Amino acid sequence: MQKSTIPFLLINCVLAIVLISCGSVTKNYSPKKLDKTSYKAPYFSNPKTDYVYKTNITVYGNEMSGIFIAKKINDTVHRIVFTTEFGNKLLDFEISEKSFKVNSIVSELDRKILINTLREDFRLLLKKEYLIQEQFEKESDNIYKSADGKRDNYLFLSKKDQKLEKVIHASQTKEKITLLFSSENNIFAEKIQIIHQNIKLKIELNYFKSE
Amino acid sequence: MKTKIALLILFISGNLFAQEQKMSDAEIAAFKQDVNVSAKKIKTLTTDFVQYKHLDFLSKDIETSGKMIFKEPNMLQWQYKKPYNYSIVFKNGKILINDEGKKSAVDVGNSKIFGRINKLIVGSVSGNMFDDKEFTISYFKSKGQNLAKFIPKDATLKKYIKQIELTFDKEEATVVQVKLLESSEDYTRIVLKNKVINAKIDDSLFTN
Repeated sequence: MQKSTIPFLLINCVLAIVLISCGSVTKNYSPKKLDKTSYKAPYFSNPKTDYVYKTNITVYGNEMSGIFIAKKINDTVHRIVFTTEFGNKLLDFEISEKSFKVNSIVSELDRKILINTLREDFRLLLKKEYLIQEQFEKESDNIYKSADGKRDNYLFLSKKDQKLEKVIHASQTKEKITLLFSSENNIFAEKIQIIHQNIKLKIELNYFKSE
Repeated sequence: MKTKIALLILFISGNLFAQEQKMSDAEIAAFKQDVNVSAKKIKTLTTDFVQYKHLDFLSKDIETSGKMIFKEPNMLQWQYKKPYNYSIVFKNGKILINDEGKKSAVDVGNSKIFGRINKLIVGSVSGNMFDDKEFTISYFKSKGQNLAKFIPKDATLKKYIKQIELTFDKEEATVVQVKLLESSEDYTRIVLKNKVINAKIDDSLFTN
């Protein structure tokens, strides 16, 4: 009995070590004492702002472009609309942390897997409140770990000016989604990239000022 | 005071009514004739445009602008210049896109929406829109302008566009504004200006 248990335990240990070392986003960063227990993301939070971006989507080698529009319509809900350059509405969602409503979607895009993926992406993009459980650091950034259901979000804030530059959404073992932000004033992100690690999907948003 | 308000409302609504009046059958026939005559003369057309995307929940319309070039029988370039460079060419059943230098091509056969858009844009500049099989059409007149409202009969098209409104300059009988109303009261309004008809346009312009 003992003979068979020991190798089993050994395998388990090895497996655990492999998983931890592979999976942890923070493996190369050093732990640090928490300097905050919560964080409010600045982008997409002003109900007075029309957030309008030229959008390029690359999905399994196919390119698509259009206009991405987001607006905070009440305390918890954002309206998200994606149109072609001509203005034809391709999809129209209302989304909050807990609710999700499809106002309209063209039949070409009406696929459950796509809607679920976008819902997850937009929820992460629009997420405002983060509770922090752990903190790490690397040379230029402080990294905050925040539980999100079964997964975790890792927020990368620049040490220099406290700008939110990156969010990694990860399971225990794998990074799933990476958000990259470029912002001049830390209120508004001029350029955003949403990159998926497990499917070949990349969404790039470039803010444009209406004439 | 109440009478004043009532009078004011009456005045305003009376005014609105005056602005957009239904055409008589004779006027419709004359108008269609005018548009067809002027459309038949169009071999090429270039125009600047400003596009206003209106979404009810936004505080401001999204404004983009650029240039459109059309050459008979069905070559069309729709080019956004501000605030970004995006150009789309419809030619020989193909759609060529140039998105800030990134080029791609789409077969119209695979893209019903674009095929329809092509037909609509060309139709609205060439006067081929008065197709009773495709649309339920109503006609209105106002000072200096005529207005035709098109409600698609086709169920697929209707999903994207509830109504198309073309505003025509009365003198020239050509389109000055295109308004595409979506099912949810949101719309795209395209204002055409600086129109040039029948200037020489080389086919090579319709590459992207």
